[in-house]
Amino acid sequence: MFFAYFFMLMVQLTLRYIPLSSDVSFLQIKQTEVSSIKAYLPIFYVHVYTAIFVLLAGFTQFNAEILARYPKIHRRLGYLYVVFVLLLASPSGIFIGWFANGGLMAKTSFIILGILWFWFTSKATLLILKRKITAHKKFMYRSFALAASAITLRLWKVILVYLFHPAPMDVYQIIAWLGWIPNLLIAEWLIKRKII
Amino acid sequence: MKRILLLALFPILMLSCRDAKKASEEKKVVLVAQPEIHKELYGFWVGDFYTAEQLEYDGDMQDAFEKLNINIKKITKDTVIAQSVVSGNSRPLLGKLSADGGRITFVLDEPGSNKYDGKFDITLVGDTLIGKWNAHNKELKWPEKEFKLLKKKFEYNASLMLPTEANYVDWSDHKMIQRVDTAADGKIDTLDGNAFYRSASNQIFKLNASTHLLKEEDVKNLRKLDLQIIKNTIFARHGYAFKKQTFRNFFDPVKWYVPVKNNVDDDLTPIENKNIKLLDRFTKYAEDNYDAFGR
Repeated sequence: MFFAYFFMLMVQLTLRYIPLSSDVSFLQIKQTEVSSIKAYLPIFYVHVYTAIFVLLAGFTQFNAEILARYPKIHRRLGYLYVVFVLLLASPSGIFIGWFANGGLMAKTSFIILGILWFWFTSKATLLILKRKITAHKKFMYRSFALAASAITLRLWKVILVYLFHPAPMDVYQIIAWLGWIPNLLIAEWLIKRKII
Repeated sequence: MKRILLLALFPILMLSCRDAKKASEEKKVVLVAQPEIHKELYGFWVGDFYTAEQLEYDGDMQDAFEKLNINIKKITKDTVIAQSVVSGNSRPLLGKLSADGGRITFVLDEPGSNKYDGKFDITLVGDTLIGKWNAHNKELKWPEKEFKLLKKKFEYNASLMLPTEANYVDWSDHKMIQRVDTAADGKIDTLDGNAFYRSASNQIFKLNASTHLLKEEDVKNLRKLDLQIIKNTIFARHGYAFKKQTFRNFFDPVKWYVPVKNNVDDDLTPIENKNIKLLDRFTKYAEDNYDAFGR
């Protein structure tokens, strides 16, 4: 339910970018990049449009019932997730992270996030191809913890703005890190506790 | 002569737009031939416009004194043609000057077609116009106001900035922030506790949108109020008479600010137009996204 609610919010955000336009929503404050860097807009859109598929594919993968009863579904969605993350979402994330708002502090965070995401996801893929299920699981937990930053980052923003009314880029520098580090810590904690 | 005719026609044109008293004013055209007197009084007379109660109350969160600008355009033996600008409301004035033993007084009337129209009784004391304004409509909340006006030149100057000694807090509007309290019995109460008032950052003293072409990075870290103030400072330099209370509170107390007209769109420079577009885009983004789920 929780996932479903935030997933719907993400769908709503994505719908703002349909039809394709160069100056809607977030792009309203990215016109410098849009006009001076040719690749920015297409890569930005790759990132925006893949997000909901990645999240949707990811949500179902940790469900024990689906895993046991329908391994085929797990495998297919797994392929979708891996292909989207490795080929589209994480490389595009690293690219737009390079031009992120919030200066060096935010850029550093988004680039590290993108690299880790790519690394965890590829590692998990290689492990499952070798049938190492437990190790695969661990890395997929890490991978999805980072994917979920799409939601947690935006959630932290709402909370911080409500509480402190910070200037927009001050909050951006904070959520850039707050969006994924706690997620990863929770994943590590779950792994350590052998809950997986 | 042509200019005089135009000046004389001006209030008539204004009136005819409002469809009020049109017939009675047409007679004034005849007066064009009269010689002008006291030309030294022509120009903008600017100062605070307040009620006696306002003068006594001294608090932080009250609205600023309104700024009154009376623009004296033409004086003849029988007629004074002028214009009042206050609270974003620009009204034509017609009246008479009397010089009684060297004492100059005016009686100036607003047309009466607006709810807030009234009559100005003014005396020239030294270099100051001192007087009272009485609303035609006595039912108004403040039917009587006072003022002291000094003659002021109005010139567009791109480098004027808001004075740094004032606090720019939007007292005219606020948001209630709920306070959550846990009572002794463990019950959770939400109280409409703290009012949050928007306040501006010091960037409003640094960014001049009339002299510099702003870049996205200059304005990215600004809240909506900052963006609005930077944009409206452009309008203030051009003498725009603000209608919104928030901006009147910010600009009316500013010494250099003279509210002159209701529309300055044609006066804007290319730099200003570009900056306004940028600021509008960021304002819209701030409205839609600042406190919402998203980026």
